[in-house]
Amino acid sequence: MRFGVFFVLKTVLMALSQIWANKTRSFLTALGIIVGVASVTAVIAALTGLKAKVLAEFESVGAARLYVFPNRPDNVPRSKIPWEKCRLSIEEARAIMEQCPSLKGVSPIVDVSMSVESDTELIEAMTVSGIWPAWHDAVGRKVLRGRPFSQIDTETARQVALVNEAAVEELKLDRDGNGGVGEHVLLGGRRFLVIGVVETLQARMMGMNSSQAEVFVPFSVAEKMLTGWYFMQFVALAKSPEVAEEAKAEIEYVMRRQRGLTRSDPDTFRVAAIDQYINQFKSLAAGVTAIAGGIVGISLLVGGIGIMNIMLVSVSERTREIGLRKAVGATSTAILLQFLLEAVTLTVLGGMVGLVVGKALALGLTFIPGANLEQADVPIWAVAVSLVFSAGVGVAFGMFPAIKASRLDPIEALRHE
Amino acid sequence: MEEPIIKLRAIAKVYRVGVETIHALRGVDLSIGRNEMVAIMGKSGSGKSTLMNTLGCLDRPTSGEYWLGGRLVSAMKADELALVRNEEIGFVFQTFELLARQTALENVELPLLYSATGGGASARRKRALEALERVGLGGRVDHRPNQLSGGQKQRVAIARAILNNPRILMADEPTGNLDSATTAEILGLFSALHRAGQTVILVTHENDVAAHCQRVVRLFDGRILSDLPAEQDDEVAPHVPAARAMGAAA
Repeated sequence: MRFGVFFVLKTVLMALSQIWANKTRSFLTALGIIVGVASVTAVIAALTGLKAKVLAEFESVGAARLYVFPNRPDNVPRSKIPWEKCRLSIEEARAIMEQCPSLKGVSPIVDVSMSVESDTELIEAMTVSGIWPAWHDAVGRKVLRGRPFSQIDTETARQVALVNEAAVEELKLDRDGNGGVGEHVLLGGRRFLVIGVVETLQARMMGMNSSQAEVFVPFSVAEKMLTGWYFMQFVALAKSPEVAEEAKAEIEYVMRRQRGLTRSDPDTFRVAAIDQYINQFKSLAAGVTAIAGGIVGISLLVGGIGIMNIMLVSVSERTREIGLRKAVGATSTAILLQFLLEAVTLTVLGGMVGLVVGKALALGLTFIPGANLEQADVPIWAVAVSLVFSAGVGVAFGMFPAIKASRLDPIEALRHE
Repeated sequence: MEEPIIKLRAIAKVYRVGVETIHALRGVDLSIGRNEMVAIMGKSGSGKSTLMNTLGCLDRPTSGEYWLGGRLVSAMKADELALVRNEEIGFVFQTFELLARQTALENVELPLLYSATGGGASARRKRALEALERVGLGGRVDHRPNQLSGGQKQRVAIARAILNNPRILMADEPTGNLDSATTAEILGLFSALHRAGQTVILVTHENDVAAHCQRVVRLFDGRILSDLPAEQDDEVAPHVPAARAMGAAA
């Protein structure tokens, strides 16, 4: 073996001494690589952190949960499928409840906007949601105090309400130390007994609500108060995350039959499972990664051109040295490898510095309040990819100068001034 | 008689510079035996540099045959020639050609970097140290070139040249950049190496330097003008202008 470990080691050592001897020049040359690797490292760290956070949030939401929304199919004129045909109805919820064996439960959620009043406070327009008792299981929210809705509440349309802790606070319901249970609120002018308090959802994703306060009433009660426009969706819980896909198919089948859609008709509703959101997020993250990758590609290209430039300078400065090396027996291949290794040493060193800078940036990101990046970290694979890329840039852009060096005629080279 | 180490047969070298054709060597026949010490002399343009490059396997002749140690090197490819240079030829240059950032020892080790048979790091170091001892620089192994005098630099270069025990030690104006006292030292070193069995070829234009050799080959206009033992060459030297006239007529 002609170019063994010794050759590589010796060459890298020589390259390092060359880099050290021209510290400023080497640093400026490697700056492009450093910036490129640092930025990609920081972006990957940020995405990793965001992903960990979002996935954990999805996880807590539960993978067995399904939502049904009204949805006008794309590419169909508004006149052909009016909103009324897409809107969900309570009969559909009943059909789903009765006909889907993979479901543990289903509940409609109908949002009605109305004024909410306690003894001391008044909120003019607040969303009040009408739900079935199955809602507690389906969304995984138990009552903290008091009792949940019962079937009787729904069937007899009792004027009872559930509130969350934020609503207790905003409406100042906790006056006599019972945490709000047993108080009365006026919803759209009607008097409701607060029978229970549920937990406030922590910062919902994608900023879907501004006020944290929530009020719930039995669906049968909300139904009577519906005036004009309202929005209804269903939430369903599959028996286990494993059968979520089957549950989804069952709901789709029931819905299509319920609506009398023929084979050629498009869906006028949409069933969304949590993993769909996960996939959506993942493709979003992949898109951001691709864009970041493109930017990094450009900075690595610029960095690479810098490397090529400096290596060409190095070859011409060291022409006599190349002549001498050839005179003492270096083959063209040996010279080629030597200059290539030198370029790679420079870029990999730049890549390492870039990684350190990127790691520092990632650490800085974790301290940005409210950015959801507390878990930002540089994964091992990103370290490997960065170093491989740096080395690749060294090979790609060091090749031309190295070939130039290897082709020098030893006699001419030794005569070079 | 013993087979000569170097055998040149009708070596010619033609360069093309633009439209001009330059005949640097016009048919050189030369044999050099083992443990000879030969000076190659000639004015600039006489072809001595081309002859040295050819002998040193840095350049291939346009025509003719060059046998080195029984192998026809004039037919070899570039990589084979690199190997021959590495193992069988040691070069010493007028300007030393040491790597500025490497120590004396590292400079001497350089040929081993390109050798297939260099051995491990400690073996390499040992060989380089031995070579430095042989040129009398055992105490300066860790000095860099800028910490060495001209004579010491040339000793390092000579140590590098003899490291692989080459068949030929080839020096191109090795004393051109040295003062007279150091020149004497370095020539003494070449003579000592010669006495120890080394074949030495010195390329020079100084008669004093040539006087240290056994044999003097004079070139003129790409041909060998004279090839005489040193003692007889002394008689020829003063008559070079006449010889040149003779060569031009031929």
